[in-house]
Amino acid sequence: MPDIVPRRRILLASATTLPLLLATAGCRSSSLFAGPDPLAGRPPLGHDVLTLQAVIASEESMINLYRAAINGDSGTTAQSRTLGPLLAQHEQHLAQLRARLIEPAGTPATPSQASRPAASAGGDGSASTGPGRVTTAQLRAAERASAASLVQRLATVEPALAQLFASIAASDATHVTVLAEKGLG
Amino acid sequence: MTASTAVSALQAALAAENAAIFGYGVAGAHLAGNSLAAAEQDWTTHNEARDTLAAMIRQLGAAPAATQAFYQLPFRVHDAASATALAAYLEDGVTRAYLGLVAVSDQQLRRFGALAMQGAAQRAAFWRGSTQAFPGLSTP
Repeated sequence: MPDIVPRRRILLASATTLPLLLATAGCRSSSLFAGPDPLAGRPPLGHDVLTLQAVIASEESMINLYRAAINGDSGTTAQSRTLGPLLAQHEQHLAQLRARLIEPAGTPATPSQASRPAASAGGDGSASTGPGRVTTAQLRAAERASAASLVQRLATVEPALAQLFASIAASDATHVTVLAEKGLG
Repeated sequence: MTASTAVSALQAALAAENAAIFGYGVAGAHLAGNSLAAAEQDWTTHNEARDTLAAMIRQLGAAPAATQAFYQLPFRVHDAASATALAAYLEDGVTRAYLGLVAVSDQQLRRFGALAMQGAAQRAAFWRGSTQAFPGLSTP
């Protein structure tokens, strides 16, 4: 006789033992599933993502600063001719930084994603909003602060991102030189 | 990343500095006035950087790679324009080499490489007459 359990008996066994198995598994779910609970909500953003968001916000402030300098009443043709290419490079920086940012769908808008008014560089290199003329000295200070800030951030990000930050910092450093040589403002 | 990776990145930077020292010697022969003065200053900077890198490599227990007797130039240098282009080319190479240091795990080496990149990018911009969005990166 073949050693085959009749189909009816398997169904019966399933009907009686399955609830028991599920109940047991349910009691021990925390030990069985060590990973993150998918029902616990969105996981916190990683360090690289948070760093990228901060760098993107700074880059956006820099772009607004350049736009204010170019479009301001005091802007001369010579000034625009010098600042235009530098602004274009900052826009390239921003595009690359945004391309590296992968956020979970439905992530609330960060300050970097919101539109911002024109900003001016504060003494600590941070941008503060406010009307008025943007001088080349302010742009220089902002570029210098940006380069220094990016170098500060190198230590804690993954290598490919560190290289992008270092390259952008080097670009910012060349902008400092250009702005100093032109003696605008 | 291991110490050997750091040594490799330092050796690459040293090789770029040695190539720059050789190249500026060629370029300087075709430059005059302020350009020659700038080339001489940059040549001195690269010599100092070479010594710094060699010391760092020794500190990690390795021997600095020896300089080559001759370096193949990327194009013929026969006048001030080609000499200027060579100087920009050399600085681009140095910038790329230091970018390698930024990828090592040692935080001090990362910072050292990033700051060296800034100097090289500034010199490249001087010789080229324009800045770049992503110095050292071919495709960001």
